Amino acid sequence: MKKHLLYAISAICLSLTSCHKDLPTELAFESYAYASLDVDGGTWRPVLISAASDLEIAEPAATNSSEYQAELTATKSAIQQMSDFQREKLAHWTNNPVVRWNEIALELIAKYNLIPGPNPDGTYTLPNPASPDGPPAFPFAHPPYASRALAYLSVAQFDGLISAWHYKYHYQRPAAYKVDPSVPFAYQEQDIPAYPSDGAVIATASRKILTAMFPLEAAYLERKEAEHLQSLLLSGEFVKSDIEAGAQIGDQIAVKALARASADGMKNAQTSKAVSDSIANAAFERFGWKWVNLESPQRPVGLTPLFGKVKMWNVPNVEATRPGMPPAPGSAEYEADVKLLQEYAAHRTLERRKIANFWQDGLGTYTPPGHWNDFANRFIVKYKMSTLRAARTLAYMNMAIMDGGISCWDAKYYYHYPRPIQQIEGFETIAGTPNFPSYTSGHSVFSAAASEVLAYVFPAEADMVRAWAEEAAVSRVYGGIHWTFDATVGTQQGRNVAQYTIDKARTDGAD
Amino acid sequence: MNFYSKCQTGLCVLLLALSCHAWAQSPTDELMMPHREICFLGSYEYGQFDEYWEGSTLRDNATIATVQRRTALLMAAYGLTNKLDLYVGIPYVSTNSTLPNGGKFAGTSGFQDYAVGVKYQAFKKATEKGEFSAYASLNFSNRASDYLSDYQPYALGLGTPQLAWRAIAHQKWSNGLYIRAVGGYVWKGYTQAEREYYYNDGSYYTAWMDVPSSWNYEAVLGKWFLANSLRVEVGYSAQRSTSGDDIRAYNAPQPTNRVNMDRVGGFAHYYFPKVKGLGILAYFSQVVDGKNAPKMTGFGVGATYQFRLLK
Repeated sequence: MKKHLLYAISAICLSLTSCHKDLPTELAFESYAYASLDVDGGTWRPVLISAASDLEIAEPAATNSSEYQAELTATKSAIQQMSDFQREKLAHWTNNPVVRWNEIALELIAKYNLIPGPNPDGTYTLPNPASPDGPPAFPFAHPPYASRALAYLSVAQFDGLISAWHYKYHYQRPAAYKVDPSVPFAYQEQDIPAYPSDGAVIATASRKILTAMFPLEAAYLERKEAEHLQSLLLSGEFVKSDIEAGAQIGDQIAVKALARASADGMKNAQTSKAVSDSIANAAFERFGWKWVNLESPQRPVGLTPLFGKVKMWNVPNVEATRPGMPPAPGSAEYEADVKLLQEYAAHRTLERRKIANFWQDGLGTYTPPGHWNDFANRFIVKYKMSTLRAARTLAYMNMAIMDGGISCWDAKYYYHYPRPIQQIEGFETIAGTPNFPSYTSGHSVFSAAASEVLAYVFPAEADMVRAWAEEAAVSRVYGGIHWTFDATVGTQQGRNVAQYTIDKARTDGAD
Repeated sequence: MNFYSKCQTGLCVLLLALSCHAWAQSPTDELMMPHREICFLGSYEYGQFDEYWEGSTLRDNATIATVQRRTALLMAAYGLTNKLDLYVGIPYVSTNSTLPNGGKFAGTSGFQDYAVGVKYQAFKKATEKGEFSAYASLNFSNRASDYLSDYQPYALGLGTPQLAWRAIAHQKWSNGLYIRAVGGYVWKGYTQAEREYYYNDGSYYTAWMDVPSSWNYEAVLGKWFLANSLRVEVGYSAQRSTSGDDIRAYNAPQPTNRVNMDRVGGFAHYYFPKVKGLGILAYFSQVVDGKNAPKMTGFGVGATYQFRLLK
């Protein structure tokens, strides 16, 4: 017993000494030399605009002009007066702020991924973009919402950076620290022209897109943008006009991205009860079944019944990726799956529980699309991608994820297939059953679509990311909220959808 | 919810306040085991709640309906010397929601946290009117199984090492009336979730969650009856976490929450005069106010048996 106590006390001492360790709140990395500079990046095919030069900035002043020299003096003096706080922020933003703005998006998704609860009278009030304060606050950043926010963010960054690359190598105005070697540079030295600042493109485009997606965060996002723009100046790479030109590009591309967003059909995705009922009844007449929400009090409308009608990025027609019919209740395949689910419920092994929880990404988290962005960020840093390459990776991945979500939601509300708790008497789950039909599994489609794009961009990781996607898919079966065929068919659906995006990526000029 | 387990922590305080005979027991009371005597406690407790505080707002939630929690506890206390006692204990817990409920979540069960503690009698003085004594105790607990602390509101416990330091003051009068005051600090470490990201007023890219430590207080009024064979107490206890976030709207709690609570309770312990060493006990407790805590009602019964272990 004394030995036990000794062990306990030493364990405590160990935990106490490690007790003040900082838990990571962001991906840890420092500035690095890009694996490729992509001098021809300005010729790549963008997504929203027809060419890099569609976004316009003025011709910069020459470095020997008095105008430039005055800006250079201002950069130097700002660096000399840098505060400790500013120095800390300089290290935080690094020379790949694409990752940092993606993390801001993930944080806001997790903050707003809260499902509205019932009112005292048993009714539900939905978030309203016209009065975002709520309650409930707008938005409810559920997985389809998250996939869309991330897609617009990444696409705007990508197009903006293609444009920035075009002008950088067109005007060839060198970085401040190259013009004047006495200017200290905070990051890795690389031979990239400074006009316009790519960081400023990212800062302004990201702030504008995220403000539209998370209107209550306008002030927070403005602070982040100002802090980032200030860091760009303090890095020693840019003078004021480099940063202003970058911000102009960011501003212009955000306007174009948000114009697409306002007309993509998302505002009609959450329907009235009448429309929702008619969708359910159409499925019932077609198939003889319909999904029913079993929450208490019952939610009158499922989540975004018409998300399947939202405009896709790279799939010409959503029905081209609609999977075949699921097994009818009562069929042999269906009954076998009921048995399997009951078996999992009766024997909740530690391994299956861990898989169910690892991939759950449920309410209050950054959602499955967010999880795959988290993975992508780690690969981006591991493979030392430039801002341009990083934005390209995230743009294609997030377009494929959003297209996957649209295709999945099309299947969900077309087939309107019931969840296991609706079909199996007394069935209980270890994951929360979501407010939408079962077939196909959103996790499966999101994950397969994301993993295919990552496998294309990072071929050395292909086997691993595809295995992750399959584990994410089956995790929902282990959690008790999906049928096996929801997961397997959903995985194939995600792969099919991603292929459209990958075909486009292969011909954009970057490979 | 974090709070289910926090509650358990609190209930442990109450359970550990049980006493085996005219001497004996727990890190939170004044009773000491005589040298080389050992006392065993077996108890069963039922607790339930259908309301909880989300931040400071009391609410119900049809997703979880009424949450039930059953605890079987086995404890032992041993007198290392007349002034130093050693304690060990382990609870087995099972949780579930009543039917019908909107969430259809499976309950869970298993061993919660083992506890090892010592209590030292630092001061004792008899006067004409009674007796004053003071004690210090140290209690360590940690998970005894692979339960998931992040499975709220059904989690068995907090899944973190805990170290509780307590100071106890006790005044007893010759008519059998007594009061006891306990103040303590419970350091709680990190618990490991089964996910690599969570939100706690910002993003955390780790499975490790910082479980808030807490200050815990207790005030008890009691009396001995029937020639010292019946002890009856009423008490108030409180927990104040030193950090943590609030449960978010209509969202599941998590181990990082700031859990505060105020609880009242009653306790009785009867020692059979004719069966040496045997006692039975019963208690009741009710959480009356809180923050990020369940409004838990609990009652329990148990038996104690004390004997000399070494001659």
